[in-house]
Amino acid sequence: MDRTHRPWVIATAALAIISTAAYVLYAVNTPGGPRGGSAMGLTFGMAGYALMLYAGLLGARKQVPTWRIGRAQTWMRGHLWLGLLNLLLILLHSGFAFRGPLTLALMLLLFSVTGSGILGAAIQHYVPGFMTSRVPLETIYEEIPHVRVQLRDEADELAAAISQNALVEMEHDDRERFREVYLNKVRPYLEDPEAPDAELADPLRSEETFGALRRLLSPPVYGALDDLENICEEERQLSRQIRIYRWLHAWLLVHVPLSIALLVLGAIHAVMALRY
Amino acid sequence: MPDAQGVRVSNVELTIDGLEVSVPEGTTVFDAARSNGVPIPTLCHQQNETPVGVCRVCVVDVGGRVLAASCVRLAEHKMVVSTNSAKVRRVRRTLVEMLMADHPSPCARQRQSNDCELETLAQLEGIREARFPRRISARGQDDSSLVIAVDHEACILCDRCIRGCDEIRQNDVLGRRGKGFTAGIAFDSDLPMGSSSCVSCGECMVSCPTGALTNRGVIKTVLPGEAVDVAELQQLSYFQKVSGTFLQLNRNAVVRRHYRQGEIVCREGEYGSTAFYITAGQAEVFLATPMAHVNSDSRSGGFLGRLSSRLLGRQQEHRAEEGRRDTIPIDAPVDLPYDRPVATLGPGDLFGEMTCMSLYPRSATVRAATDCVMFEMLRNVLDIIQRNKTLQAQLDASYRRRALDDHLRSVPIFATLSQDFVDLLRNRVELVRYTKGEVICSQGDIADSFYLVRLGFVKVSEPHPGGDLVLAYLGRGGYFGEIGLLGGGIRTATCTALDHVELVRIHAEEFHQMVQEFPAVRESLEALVRERQEQNRQRLETATSTPLDTFLTQGLMEAQSLLVMDLERCTRCDACVRACADAHDGVTRLIREGQRFDKYLVATSCRHCRDPLCMVGCPVGSIRRRNSLEVIIENWCIGCGLCAKNCPYGNINMHPFTVLENDPMNAGRAMASVKHKATSCDLCTELAEPSCVYACPHDAAHRVEPNEFFRWVGMPPAAPARRN
Repeated sequence: MDRTHRPWVIATAALAIISTAAYVLYAVNTPGGPRGGSAMGLTFGMAGYALMLYAGLLGARKQVPTWRIGRAQTWMRGHLWLGLLNLLLILLHSGFAFRGPLTLALMLLLFSVTGSGILGAAIQHYVPGFMTSRVPLETIYEEIPHVRVQLRDEADELAAAISQNALVEMEHDDRERFREVYLNKVRPYLEDPEAPDAELADPLRSEETFGALRRLLSPPVYGALDDLENICEEERQLSRQIRIYRWLHAWLLVHVPLSIALLVLGAIHAVMALRY
Repeated sequence: MPDAQGVRVSNVELTIDGLEVSVPEGTTVFDAARSNGVPIPTLCHQQNETPVGVCRVCVVDVGGRVLAASCVRLAEHKMVVSTNSAKVRRVRRTLVEMLMADHPSPCARQRQSNDCELETLAQLEGIREARFPRRISARGQDDSSLVIAVDHEACILCDRCIRGCDEIRQNDVLGRRGKGFTAGIAFDSDLPMGSSSCVSCGECMVSCPTGALTNRGVIKTVLPGEAVDVAELQQLSYFQKVSGTFLQLNRNAVVRRHYRQGEIVCREGEYGSTAFYITAGQAEVFLATPMAHVNSDSRSGGFLGRLSSRLLGRQQEHRAEEGRRDTIPIDAPVDLPYDRPVATLGPGDLFGEMTCMSLYPRSATVRAATDCVMFEMLRNVLDIIQRNKTLQAQLDASYRRRALDDHLRSVPIFATLSQDFVDLLRNRVELVRYTKGEVICSQGDIADSFYLVRLGFVKVSEPHPGGDLVLAYLGRGGYFGEIGLLGGGIRTATCTALDHVELVRIHAEEFHQMVQEFPAVRESLEALVRERQEQNRQRLETATSTPLDTFLTQGLMEAQSLLVMDLERCTRCDACVRACADAHDGVTRLIREGQRFDKYLVATSCRHCRDPLCMVGCPVGSIRRRNSLEVIIENWCIGCGLCAKNCPYGNINMHPFTVLENDPMNAGRAMASVKHKATSCDLCTELAEPSCVYACPHDAAHRVEPNEFFRWVGMPPAAPARRN
């Protein structure tokens, strides 16, 4: 959180204090305790639902990125802080009591949405830095399958160059040993780097394998072996990128559907409460 | 018995395999046997070549201490010859076995036509497995010729090709190289065949008994059109000097095409591999793509805030450093006028050379103005025609007569030359050709000429520790050599042919006469020299004051504005990329990949590379560097997409536009068609904030002034560790 968040923090805190103060006054002066259906309760409810709608509109805002309706960054700040304030307002609306199955469900959804949102914000705050430091060879996520095909082709060419004596004359047995290692360890790993039993997915095992090959083969092929080893390292980084990328975005699979459900059920709750 | 010249010669009587025969004195045993129906196998001997007796397969027993090679041994009176005794058969078999030990079986000829003479002989001798070990060191292949494939591995050193080239064709290109184990055939002074003075007559290929010299597979390409008889082709002046053997072997590589009036022969931007020679009728060559560049503006902005991409010509918007050329170079003997890019070609004109020779996209659209007949040919045929000295002289004369004038005047600094002087130059300039990779002049050489590029691309570079710094790529209309001539008389850069290059060479004497007689030309050239020297000095300063591995990044420092992403904030949601596409009619100009500086990523935008590969091959020369080193795409871009394909970083995009053009099927009516123009990221300069930055929800994307940014970051640029 940097200085650009400060105005939002101040505004949110101020609104929270004012709302809480109003609620305390209202709760103290209302016989029978606070109720959602009272004027103050309805005010909290409507304000809370309005903030929910605003928070929900971030998704729609992203669909029209070039519309000059405020910078996406501003919308995101609003989404975060007003979404948090929304939890307080709804709690004040409910008077901290969940009376029926629908309101209970709504409150559970609200907590889940807010919780997943906080978790998402935390993930998106810390994980990009992790990705940057752990995946220096990061590529565009959608390009990973193509990059992998290229890496595989490149590895095949290198292996062919080594095993066909294009780089240096090798003993037949050494050549066969190299071929065996390539076909049984390197190639299967490049074919399916996500396989759970892939030996070369472990950097230490990879180092051991290539170390053994270096001891087996003569120095003129070390350059090609280094390239092969680097290809495996790049594959490991791509696997890491996939995992981190999923972490970065998987929480949305929870957050977004729950948010939609919250908005729909919130609307049903509002209609039912006002009508009946 | 009188011989052919009427000189009386005596006969000799001899016995061959029990058969008594009489032959004129001086006849070889081989000829004596053959003329009397006794076959003797041979590999190195052909009836139309001087016998040399190198393969020894034709050995016969003449009763001497050793067996004799029948092709060189003269028949003697009372000689008793045995061609098929057990001893002869054993020796012959051993010889064939030894030759087969070195022979890659089946060789190319055996695979193509199943008639490799050595392998046929081996089959007759029943040789399945060679008893002798193969050679260890490889002799290699030479694929440099477009016409003939050379496989030195299959060469048996019979010298038939050498005698074919020297004795029969008298081209004197082929000879021997090396000795003993390393011996082989060589072209000129052991040059690759494609770079040698070989005229591809095909004689060596038809002389070769094995697959060492074979016809390349170009003839597998089937051109649509009417097949042409070789004799008929040779009636045409253009094909007259081409070897009939070659034309026969490549009869599918030239076809006759008939075009009706209005029919399109080829379209600009299309990829092709053929050239056309007009024999009857007239063709119109023109550019169908609008003469305009892509302008992105935000006038349609407001609430929606989108950029609108429009095509604007010179009149509507003049950009800084936009080319002021009056003509557009195309792949034909004429240039097109900028204001009305249309020209007419007629009988005797050849077009499509660059497409054919270097596989560049077509540079213009050609339409039959009247009913036309053309010969369409593949590059093996064009190559052989261009190698023919007589024909080359004809083409050069035609160029001097018709195009040199326009070509010289298309270069703005020569626009003031008088007609008298152009006439003088017409006969004095030299038209020179270079093959791919050939060095035209090297830094430090004596400057003896000025060059004007007529065809192809020339790379101008300066050698520096760690690699060459490319100063420019020059296409048709480009010129070089003036700095050396006007400066200290020494070349300041190295110029290399990137593909098939044809140049107009103006010798120092004429060049100095030109600059003396025309002060305006001198002033323009001197201004240009100062400008280029200053640019080179700046580049050199940068190159020597900056570590070379980081030099590539200096393009970023020279930029006006960079799109930088903070990777510790960026959630890789790609909202920036979607925004870019949304802002530019669905065509993204941003790729979220690029160089990293610590936690910052400089996203895709032109990097002004040291080696601007995007500029190589533009068929109309519409992409070039501004003096500030940035790329500018001129109005006459035909949208072929080669620059976008060549850019390794994806920084050039093809933007589609719908334009109206004449409907060839319905005269007077217009039809809509989609044309493309190349564009690169403009950082949304028309908007207060680029769309990618505006759409980033995480405050990760920033537009920064490079120097300020790097000072603020306070670190030397460094790329992440990549594989070698």
